[in-house]
Amino acid sequence: MPDEQALISALRRRDPGAFATVFERYADKIYRLAAGILEDEVEADGVVQDTFLRLFERLDSFEGRSRLGTWLYRVAYNGAVDRLRRRRPTVSLEAAGDGLGPAPALLADWSQLPEQALSTAEVQAALDEAIAALPEAYRTVFILREVERLSTDETAEIMSLSAGAVKVRLHRARLFLRERLAEQFARES
Amino acid sequence: MTCDELLAYLSDYIDQNLDAELTAAAQEHLASCQNCRVVLDTTQQTIFLYREQGRRQIPASRRQRLFEQLEAAFLKKDSDGDL
Repeated sequence: MPDEQALISALRRRDPGAFATVFERYADKIYRLAAGILEDEVEADGVVQDTFLRLFERLDSFEGRSRLGTWLYRVAYNGAVDRLRRRRPTVSLEAAGDGLGPAPALLADWSQLPEQALSTAEVQAALDEAIAALPEAYRTVFILREVERLSTDETAEIMSLSAGAVKVRLHRARLFLRERLAEQFARES
Repeated sequence: MTCDELLAYLSDYIDQNLDAELTAAAQEHLASCQNCRVVLDTTQQTIFLYREQGRRQIPASRRQRLFEQLEAAFLKKDSDGDL
């Protein structure tokens, strides 16, 4: 895998192999973030297209102040949020105050369920339903930190937040999702 | 450490961001509080499930089409740049 500066130089030369490398490395990541924000696969494809087209436009002026991946995520995040605002202009995308979920109420221990029981289509549906119920501001932090495994600082840079705000949102998102899944598993057991 | 304090520190505990003193206090509380242990275990399991099952990919046929369209734009084969 070429290093990032070499990759950007190859992209500037319009090397097809460099494009293939960047697409393989980032297309699914951008798609997951956009699909997570928009909950719409077709729109997520549009964000992938727009993000790469923006990269091609900016190649000659790309200064490398951010890592390429962070830059792509930031363009994709802004693109997805713009689409969301156009779709639902009256909905606030900001994080709610302290109202996201009460203290844990469901205390059944489902952490030891056998792996087989946790990999069914029903569980996948429960995971999708739970994360869809999270406000966007929390959902995006959770996706970037837990699914994409980015650091707090990278997530903060992508979303133009402080590191402290990322930590708070991640904490609330984890507890919210835990509670939702506990409800689901309590119903099943 | 109380249950409320444990809950406030839960993410930092999971991420191993607490200092030694708070980590020890959290561990002491967890050793004697079944409810907090369940919240910790199920939160960690929640994170695990999303990490394992949240990594969806662009479906293959659409992925291939996206690749071809973007490659054409990249190589400027498509002079209009119209995708």
